Amino acid sequence: MARIVLIAEQRNGKLSEATLELCKAAKEIASMVGATPAAAVFYKDDSIAKEVAQYIPEVFSVVDAKLESFSADLYAQAVKAVVESQDVKGVLIPHSYDGVDYAAKAALAIGAGIVSNCNKVAFEGGALVFTRNTYNGKIQEQKSVKTDKFVATFEKGAFDKEAAGAAGSVTAVSASLGDSKRKIKEVIATMAGSVDISQAKIIVSGGRGTKEKDKYNDIIVSLAKKLGGEYAASRPVVDAGWTDAARQVGQSGKTVAPALYLAAGISGAIQHVAGMKGSQCIVAINKDPEAPIFNIATYGIVGDLFEVIPAIMEALG
Amino acid sequence: MKIVVLVKEVPDMESKFKIIDGAKIDESQIAFKMNDFDAYAVEAALQLKEKFGGEVIIISAGPDRVTKEVRQAFAMGADWGIHVNDPQIDAGDNFVVSSALVKAIESLGGADLIMTGVQSEDYQASLTGVVIADMLGLAHCTNVVKIDVAADQKTLTINRELEGGLNEVLEMSAPAVLTIQSGINEPRYPTLPGIMKAKKKRLDVKKAADLGVAELGEAGSKTKFIKMFFPVSDHKAEIIEGDAKTAAKTLVDKLKNEAKVI
Ligand SMILES: Cc1cc2nc3c(=O)[nH]c(=O)nc-3n(C[C@H](O)[C@H](O)[C@H](O)COP(=O)(O)OP(=O)(O)OC[C@H]3O[C@@H](n4cnc5c(N)ncnc54)[C@H](O)[C@@H]3O)c2cc1C
Repeated sequence: MARIVLIAEQRNGKLSEATLELCKAAKEIASMVGATPAAAVFYKDDSIAKEVAQYIPEVFSVVDAKLESFSADLYAQAVKAVVESQDVKGVLIPHSYDGVDYAAKAALAIGAGIVSNCNKVAFEGGALVFTRNTYNGKIQEQKSVKTDKFVATFEKGAFDKEAAGAAGSVTAVSASLGDSKRKIKEVIATMAGSVDISQAKIIVSGGRGTKEKDKYNDIIVSLAKKLGGEYAASRPVVDAGWTDAARQVGQSGKTVAPALYLAAGISGAIQHVAGMKGSQCIVAINKDPEAPIFNIATYGIVGDLFEVIPAIMEALG
Repeated sequence: MKIVVLVKEVPDMESKFKIIDGAKIDESQIAFKMNDFDAYAVEAALQLKEKFGGEVIIISAGPDRVTKEVRQAFAMGADWGIHVNDPQIDAGDNFVVSSALVKAIESLGGADLIMTGVQSEDYQASLTGVVIADMLGLAHCTNVVKIDVAADQKTLTINRELEGGLNEVLEMSAPAVLTIQSGINEPRYPTLPGIMKAKKKRLDVKKAADLGVAELGEAGSKTKFIKMFFPVSDHKAEIIEGDAKTAAKTLVDKLKNEAKVI
């Protein structure tokens, strides 16, 4: 029977959460199209393949010393080897840093159409329909794939994590891998800083809507101090140098889950939300009533943060 | 160095979007601008040109109005450009547009570096750079946050952004395709003399036929667009009404007595 195969992802031998989410996705999609779910693991040995087999009935394992760390070139070749050796209908890849680095290459290698950054999938009129965020999360679109096979990448959190169950089978797939066009020298931490915002109970976070460095300091930092919390920021604020990288919240920054997260002038892009959606109470202040941040906030005020925040300071006494 | 930068025009994301027949956005209501991520790519290219000499060539696909963004890149300092202007290409998916961009790059006899943004703010697909690299048979790296080019102008030391503030430092060789992440630099503002000069810079307009692009429109696409709509969220924030003062008072009260978080 045809298979829906997810490609596992690891860093330093540790399986990513996205891999477990895609185990769930593979099972759901497989049952929609009458296929069987499977995973493919590319690593220096079969330890990770065995681990993944706890979550899915069938695992294809490509083992090669060259696969100890990620390589876009080698991953695309390994996907091709799996697809050529098995009956594969669809390939699922996390829309992660590594995922976006090779998914399109893998799709071209197997002659498949690709739909990236999906958050949902359904089976309608005999075809898989993928839903994805566009326009900074303000509009969703639906697409399908015209080729026989498909590749889809899914954003983090699109599916729940699959729970471990009975151990599945691990089958070796041989692939003659070429050389990677890139050589990894080292992995470094770039956001080391004096402050650890992930410990704060209250976080006041400012986005591009705070307009400039002085205003960010005036408004966001002052309110954070008044509430006895920490101040934080979305990526554009850090990119512009208004505050330290250690205060960036999101996919490429810190993950936080305080009792109160107040987001002012932040639109609520998925990469930002990834770092704060676990907060207990989220307050959004934004002048745009359609800003996606209101879809995850507990309380919202539609208005100008330069009026609303001083008013909050006053109300706090 | 000969550097190509692929630039895309996108709507200003703070626009009030209207969807027509579930099929497209009402463009008459929208202000357009250069994709943010591409502006970082233009700046990165200009900095390398300042160091090593050479030229920066802008390629953009889209309707007539995208000349505005191309001229903006010219005003920042890029030398000349190609405008791929064909509705049959615009009507295609990422595969079709990438195929056309590849032909445009090939018409230049290739380049030492090809740069573009990590993603476009409107489609958010993160596909173009990788697709183009693969079609051209070149090495690539996505999410680039640092570029060091050695004196041989071939050896590249690149930082690739990873999750949680990590960077992978890697080495590769030009020619290569790099997708540039925000924050890598501070894109310069065009100067007045820059804007004056930009008006006279060469901008070649190419249609699909000029480039010899075979895959066109929906027929050449590997994916099919079905529809677009505004997200329906099963959760909506409790919106606190009133002027700033009233809303702020209510909010503080709710945070103290309802949510009990302050
Ligand atoms: C691979 C990758 C990783 C990323 N990682 C991160 C990450 O870790 N963290 C992160 O934050 N982003 C990240 N991003 C960027 C992300 O996609 C968004 O671009 C970013 O989060 C937008 O920041 P923002 O909401 O501050 O700005 P914008 O999206 O520009 O939003 C500004 C908001 O301010 C509002 N506003 C403007 N003026 C006012 C006013 N006077 N009063 C009230 N509201 C006002 C506007 O209505 C708008 O909603 C990443 C992107 C990529 C591609």
